Amino acid sequence: MASGPLPPPPPPHWAVAMNTPMPRASKAANSIPNPPGFSSRKESNKSRAQQQSQAAAAPQQPVETDTLKLKKAWEIALAPSKQLPMNGIMMYMSGNSLQIFSIMMVFMLFKGPIQGLINTNSVFAKFETDGTKGKLLGVKALYVVMQFLLLALGVWKVNAMGLLPTTRSDWLAWESERQPMERVYFALG
Amino acid sequence: MASPPPVVPYTAAPQLDITTAGSLSIHPHPCFLRQSSASSNDQFPPEVIIMRLQATLLWLASCVPSAVAIYPDEVNHVDFHHALLGVPTPESTFFLRPPSSSNASLLYTLSEDSLVGAINPRDGSPLWRQNVSRSSQPDHGPGLLRASDGVSSIVSAVGDYVSSWSALDGKLVWENWFVDESLVDLELLHLADPHAVPASKDTVALFGGKAGVVRRLDGESGDVKWEYKDESGETPFQVSSSSTEVFYISLQSGLLKGTKVKVTSLDPVTGRQTRQVTLNSESDVSGPESILFVGANTASPLIVWADKSQKILKVNVIGSKKVSSLNIENTSGQEIRSVVIHAPHQLNSLPHFLVHYQTESSSWAEVYHVDLNTEAVTKAYSLPRVQGWSVFATSNKDANVFFTRITEAELTVVSSASHGILGRWPLQTPPKERFLHAVAEVVAKGESVAVRSAAVLESGDWQLIRNGQNEWTRYEALAGAQAASWAEADTQEDLAHQLQVEGHESIYGAYVHRVKRHVKDLEHLPEWLKELPKRILTSILSDEVSNLDGFGVSKTVIVATRNGRVYALDSGKHGAVSWSVKVSQGETWDVKAIITQPGYATVYPDDGSSVTLNVTSGGIVKRTSATTKIRSVAVVSDDGTPSTIGINGKGAPLEPLSGPGFFVTSSDDGRVLGWAASNNKVPVWEFAPAPGQKIVRAVARPSHDPVASIGKVLGDRSVLYKYLNPNLVLVTAVGDSSATFYLLDAVSGNLLYTTTQEGVDTTQPIASTISENWFAYSFLAHPVHPSDAMGYQLVISELYESPIPNDRGPLGAAANFSSIHDLLPLPHVISQAFVIPEPISHMGVTETRQGITIRQLLCYLPSTNSLVGIPRPFLDPRRPVDRDPTANEAEEGLIRYSPYLEFDGKWYLSHVRDVIGISNILSSPTLLESTSLVFAFGWDIFGTRATPSQAFDILGKGFSKLQLLATVVALGVGVVFLAPMVRRKQVNMIWNA
Repeated sequence: MASGPLPPPPPPHWAVAMNTPMPRASKAANSIPNPPGFSSRKESNKSRAQQQSQAAAAPQQPVETDTLKLKKAWEIALAPSKQLPMNGIMMYMSGNSLQIFSIMMVFMLFKGPIQGLINTNSVFAKFETDGTKGKLLGVKALYVVMQFLLLALGVWKVNAMGLLPTTRSDWLAWESERQPMERVYFALG
Repeated sequence: MASPPPVVPYTAAPQLDITTAGSLSIHPHPCFLRQSSASSNDQFPPEVIIMRLQATLLWLASCVPSAVAIYPDEVNHVDFHHALLGVPTPESTFFLRPPSSSNASLLYTLSEDSLVGAINPRDGSPLWRQNVSRSSQPDHGPGLLRASDGVSSIVSAVGDYVSSWSALDGKLVWENWFVDESLVDLELLHLADPHAVPASKDTVALFGGKAGVVRRLDGESGDVKWEYKDESGETPFQVSSSSTEVFYISLQSGLLKGTKVKVTSLDPVTGRQTRQVTLNSESDVSGPESILFVGANTASPLIVWADKSQKILKVNVIGSKKVSSLNIENTSGQEIRSVVIHAPHQLNSLPHFLVHYQTESSSWAEVYHVDLNTEAVTKAYSLPRVQGWSVFATSNKDANVFFTRITEAELTVVSSASHGILGRWPLQTPPKERFLHAVAEVVAKGESVAVRSAAVLESGDWQLIRNGQNEWTRYEALAGAQAASWAEADTQEDLAHQLQVEGHESIYGAYVHRVKRHVKDLEHLPEWLKELPKRILTSILSDEVSNLDGFGVSKTVIVATRNGRVYALDSGKHGAVSWSVKVSQGETWDVKAIITQPGYATVYPDDGSSVTLNVTSGGIVKRTSATTKIRSVAVVSDDGTPSTIGINGKGAPLEPLSGPGFFVTSSDDGRVLGWAASNNKVPVWEFAPAPGQKIVRAVARPSHDPVASIGKVLGDRSVLYKYLNPNLVLVTAVGDSSATFYLLDAVSGNLLYTTTQEGVDTTQPIASTISENWFAYSFLAHPVHPSDAMGYQLVISELYESPIPNDRGPLGAAANFSSIHDLLPLPHVISQAFVIPEPISHMGVTETRQGITIRQLLCYLPSTNSLVGIPRPFLDPRRPVDRDPTANEAEEGLIRYSPYLEFDGKWYLSHVRDVIGISNILSSPTLLESTSLVFAFGWDIFGTRATPSQAFDILGKGFSKLQLLATVVALGVGVVFLAPMVRRKQVNMIWNA
């Protein structure tokens, strides 16, 4: 019994090295550019094949890509219009009294469109190619209109809350009493 | 879902307030009633009720400021009240111990103005007051008041009216009228009758008229038990009584000259004449004024008179024929000006009396004893002659009689039996004025005595001196004050002048001036620093409300009284009298106006003269002599010093004035006139009401009437512009049974608005006032149509530029308007009437510094003797009628109109106080916008602070400065301890990382 079967011999060094992953590359190593043609992505065969086919197709059909990009851009431009009804209902429900929630909601309502307007160009930057440049102008215009619509909703809300000086009473303090030209001294005993 | 506004504390704790009945009670606010009525209404679905509730709560939140009451701890703190009686009369003032559990005696008096009152001699506060001038005769004297120890009621008689009052609480026991007769004398009957009811004593009253009538009135009911008519045509003079007889003393005119004194004895049970004695007095007595004294209810009734040369005093014991002659020893070398007899008024006291002689510069007295058996009058001793005046008061303790003498320097008490002085006290505060008469109460304890004496000063003040110490002073002369005005001390005047200078200079010049001013102010720095710790300490320890003198809450009121005096009351010290000065040379005067400038007050009597006084010291600064009789005074106050112009009885200014301006005056014959300042001959316009009408009153807006907002913001945030014109006059004219209210433009005399009320009782008071863009009036309306109800009505009218919101009328946004050059547009008037529970005799309006605080309509209610301040939101003529307010209207704060306007207990500014006879309500702004000072005078003097929108700019009593400081200190200590710990932890964290 003492002479049982021997334990299996340790795997060879190359086998161990193959099974353990590579040590994390240091920062310095990271900055070393990969050799040409090397891809760091570990992809399945399937996706690699897909990419290969796409990469193969792209240079062949640039018009198709532009259409796709344009379609995507249209979607982004029209996205605010989907928010519009929801925001409208929320604003309607939040009431016209000055409370922390309604004030916060109104603030968000203004923040979104204003940020959107500022970022108009950056939003569409990735769709901008030589081919789509002209067509993207219309898309951007629609996008701006949509943001303005959201802003208008905010203005409507603020007005409904009575924060806009639109009525006569808001300017009453700047009107002065009409002074008489004549002065009367009363002595009604 | 909007949460309701934070009104929870208010709903949780209904405000406590004091009702006029004097008890503390919890008043549900009207809005609570509304709320419950809405929720109990089952025809509405729950949502509607919730919405309504919300609206009500909203409205509640908006009306919280208007529902402010006076809290119990503010009583006597923010308000003061001089409950006045008038100057006490010498014959009807006495100390009396009402039969009750307490042994304390009270001070009773009947004043010259026929007010009966009981005063607590401890502090001078009135226990009760009753007006007994209910006689139908117009010119009756002050009347008489009689009482006796151990009797629970006191009897007063004025003119033809005799009444009996419970001595303890002033409730009416009985009253009786004797038409066409007027009272001459009144005595209580002290019968030695064992069966007599001790609780009340019968009264013997002597009436004059066609014939003298003596009546015995039952002490329980006031019914006549018997009457004795004297048909002889003699002048009825007095009644007196002993324990067995009633004496009727009449004066019989002699054939040639002089008057005989006739004494008729009457049987007290039947009233039959028992005997008659005529005294030979015709050589000495010429009329009622010659007789010095007729003893009433003394153990030995006396008649005393002096001969014409005042050398011999004649004394007769009533009932006998014997007349004793006593020599008057006049060693002063001066003519005797007055001889006054003082004798005890009690039946069981010793028959001693004192004769007080007063000459121009000295006074002395002699005490006589009467022997009852022989009717001999003997001199017992004399009191030494002193320089100056002295007054005597008689008091008795059981049979012992004490005489109290007050001189300029001291108070002495002697017994009638011997001349030894029992007590002598120097007067701690020497009187500034002469005493006229006094009453005293002496308490003897073994050898020592204590005395308290209530003396009336020449100024009308009433002073209680206890053992030489001045205990209290009642300023009875303030009763029936003629005019009053708020005065400003001149401390701020210099600063105001400096600021004015700065306002007129260039920017650089003003800046330099200002720097110089501040550098100059640095000289006050050491004093300021010295006072700083004290100021901080007091401001921490006392709450804000009690320390507001720096905010103009402490103001002086200058009051002119009927007896030619001027008083200064400090509203910051509970109306204490700062000074009083005799100003008029005559006995009385008729003050038309008091005009104040910073530091000075000028009084204008009706004779055209004027007296200028220093407000702080009361010194007379300037006096101008009388010119022509004036009716009123106009103040011309363009920038610079104001000048005044008298207005004569025809309503014309006394002199023309160079410069622009107009006068609006009223005349004695009831016209309202408008004058150009430069022409005092011909009026510019004259307003005469419709035929058959008579102008009873004309009012203009107060001189200080700032308007914070020129429009009224509606619920939808549009603006209804107010019709603002400082030159408005509201004229009240009455016809037979109608009252017409005319609103005039004072420059052109144009009629802007008129309204006539039918069925008005013109004998009842018709009060009116005008302020800002509204006016109010009240009257008693009789039903005109069968469906009408009779009642007191209060009508409020608001003036607007246009009925359309956001429309400023034809003049538009013009900065100026002229009543002469423009055609003045007519106002759009909205009115609403309310039925009120009681009449309003006088109205006023609270004035605040900038007019931001809502106004209160101040009304004096003569039937409950109280002053109410009705908040304007309740008197809004735009309150929706017969429907609930819409959401917009609710947002505006409008509540549903209800025709009956009940005076809420919280509106009573006078709360439990009985403020009688107010004829004038003054208001003054303070430096605090929330606070308005109110001063009412006429008979009583009442002053208070009104905060119509609550004291929003003062830290409340609940604010604890100590707590705040403690919190700050605790936080500071916490920081000191925690800072090193946190620092250490941060350092450790860096090491661990």
